[in-house]
Amino acid sequence: MSSLEELSNAVIGGDQDAVVELTRQAIVEKVDLNSIISRGLLPGMTVVGRRFKNGDMFIPEVLMAARAMNAGLELVKPLLVDGEVPVKGTVVIGTVEGDLHDIGKNLVGMMIESNGYRVIDLGIDLEPQRFVAAVREYKPQVVGMSALLTTTMLAMKETIEVLKEEGLRDSVKVIVGGAPVSQEFADEIGADGYAPDAASATELVRRLIG
Amino acid sequence: MYPAFDGGQLRLLKEDDIKAVHEASVQLLGEVGVKVKSKAAREVFRSNGAEVDTATEIVKIPRDLLEKAISDAPSRVILYGREEKNDLHLEKARTYLGTGGTVLYALDLETGQKRRTNTQDLRDIGKMVDALENVSFYVINTYPQNVPDEAADINRFYWAITSTSKHVMGGMYTMKGLKDAIRLAEEIAGGPEKLRERPFVSFITLMVSPLVMDGLYTEFIMEIARKGLPLAIPSEPLAGATAPVTLAGTIALNNAESLAGITLAQLVNPGTPVLYGSTSSIMDLKKGYYVAGAIESAMINAALAQMAQYYQLPMYGTGGMSDSKINDSQAGYESALTAMTVALSGCNYIHDAVGLLEMCQVFSYEKMVIDDEIIGNIFRVMRGIEVNPDTLAVDRLKEIGPAGNFLVDIHTTRHFRKEFFFPKVADRRTRIDWQAAGSPDTAKRAHQMVREILAGHKPTPVDAALRARLRRQFPEIQGEES
Ligand code: B12
Repeated sequence: MSSLEELSNAVIGGDQDAVVELTRQAIVEKVDLNSIISRGLLPGMTVVGRRFKNGDMFIPEVLMAARAMNAGLELVKPLLVDGEVPVKGTVVIGTVEGDLHDIGKNLVGMMIESNGYRVIDLGIDLEPQRFVAAVREYKPQVVGMSALLTTTMLAMKETIEVLKEEGLRDSVKVIVGGAPVSQEFADEIGADGYAPDAASATELVRRLIG
Repeated sequence: MYPAFDGGQLRLLKEDDIKAVHEASVQLLGEVGVKVKSKAAREVFRSNGAEVDTATEIVKIPRDLLEKAISDAPSRVILYGREEKNDLHLEKARTYLGTGGTVLYALDLETGQKRRTNTQDLRDIGKMVDALENVSFYVINTYPQNVPDEAADINRFYWAITSTSKHVMGGMYTMKGLKDAIRLAEEIAGGPEKLRERPFVSFITLMVSPLVMDGLYTEFIMEIARKGLPLAIPSEPLAGATAPVTLAGTIALNNAESLAGITLAQLVNPGTPVLYGSTSSIMDLKKGYYVAGAIESAMINAALAQMAQYYQLPMYGTGGMSDSKINDSQAGYESALTAMTVALSGCNYIHDAVGLLEMCQVFSYEKMVIDDEIIGNIFRVMRGIEVNPDTLAVDRLKEIGPAGNFLVDIHTTRHFRKEFFFPKVADRRTRIDWQAAGSPDTAKRAHQMVREILAGHKPTPVDAALRARLRRQFPEIQGEES
């Protein structure tokens, strides 16, 4: 087994120590840095994604694999010429005003992140202005909002309105989710997308911004 | 007092396990602490000797403070009905079951389709609670989507209290809603003192796992405690997501959280009638959903019932839900297995036990009737087997002898009504009779019973003049008086 294949397997197994060790070794052995990423770290995560979709891997295993992969990336990053692993895009995510439920939002954030996007998690109980400020600051391609209460679902609509008023609506794709939210509701409030779970949320982001 | 039976036959934890859970929880509260987001609550903790870090909002509760609060909290809490025959005496392993959840959708009685809930549901479900014999209380389980959000709390409590004379309990959405609900109940009781004497309403607050006390909900705890009204303080750790994936870890965490809330309530007003509690379950790790019908949820609640009995605190627990979308066999077996597990552990007040489908998101009238029957079966088990010379019936065998029968015997007519459970939903006919009746499945048979209850049952009303006055006082209440 080549050392890159071994690295892939370590990612799949979510073995952070092994990933760090193997990445370090590859760097010392002067393996091409881009190959470490594209033939070692990323393919591992691709396998994980496929197995998860088929129901052969579970969420905690996916997240551990992503964490292991990121630990490897962290070692390679500073050595790259421009110092940055190209991220696929930035997603700002948060739970809307009046709502404390954050388990789903956290999970969605982690899953999107594990697919190579930069995720900025704003937290819970966020008034529309917090989303506005984050859009200005981080220039994301996607804003994700989570709500689990009927009383707070409307805060999603309000946030979209405020983004419009601030002239920011066209610069981002807005996606929504949470147990009571539906595609119908998403359409009604003028969101760009809805997803019922973390895996399809990741798909959605991919579909919207590639 | 409402008729009830004792659980406690099922013991998932051994004596040593109970002590180990307690010690783990003491350690969590004393060493990790709880993040308390209410400043007023932090002050209460601080002035009673807890270690408070203002910057991080972490409160560390020492063992003596915790154990003092546990002993200050009453071992028996009576949740009153509007009528005395409906009073619930919560203590030891006496077990009651009833409604729960705050769902937004119901399966429509006409179409069977999922639709939004409204104030009529609050009333119809109240009437069903009132009529169904094994349902002992009404935890307000729907959210009316036909009124503005600001008016939800008052509509929920008004229609619940006026639709059944059984005990009413509910969660609140706003502080104004809580205060209105208390005022409403005081009016119906005939004044604040009268309400405190026989509180026929009580409230649900919550803890946020892991180890967080939310600002608003913590102020609810303090407000209710100051009023001396009964409150449940459950926490809802989801194993694998907001709690350790091991059931023991989740149990210790839930125990610590609920005790932290109880400690605050007792510090604010020693002797406040509190229910220790859990709405814990697991996270489905394939898709990342909350699941309600998981057997592990029942095991966690069953173990916590043992903890509650160890502390001599009455417990508000969870059981009897299903994640199925319709009234199929999954709905039946998940509800039966979870309700039975928690009930046999002796959890005193098991909510969510009737009518819930689809991860605690949809209410079904038919399921409510089916669940009533499931609970009837469980009560039969709890009643147990009476063993004495009369029930052993050796003398009857002496008399009747080999090859005789027991159909025409006074011993049979004297005992059969209490020895057997008589199901109303279950079909025990021959296939021929069943086909002649149109081959109705369980849901169809239950549907017919729902129709009969809604058409025929008359709960003891709240005085019409009083209702008229309340309607003037709270104009946000919507719906024609019946
Ligand atoms: C755990 C829980 C709590 C915990 C939350 C802890 C936390 N840190 O989040 C606590 C105990 C604090 C809590 C409090 C309350 N809760 Co609550 N809670 C739940 C419960 C049981 C599970 C939610 C959960 O975490 N699920 C697991 C996660 C992973 O799933 P999820 O959130 O749905 O997320 C998935 C998808 O929806 C989607 N998704 C989520 N967000 C996003 C965002 C985007 C952009 C996308 C694309 C996708 C997406 O992907 C996720 C992953 O697969 C639900 C029941 C249910 N069926 O949802 C009730 C539920 C949501 N709660 C409910 C209620 C009523 C309350 C309270 C009002 C109770 C009360 N009366 O006091 C309070 C409100 C507090 C507040 N102001 O927010 C109701 C809501 C009904 C309503 N009326 O609107 C529910 C449905 C339960 C019920 N039937 O009673 N709750």
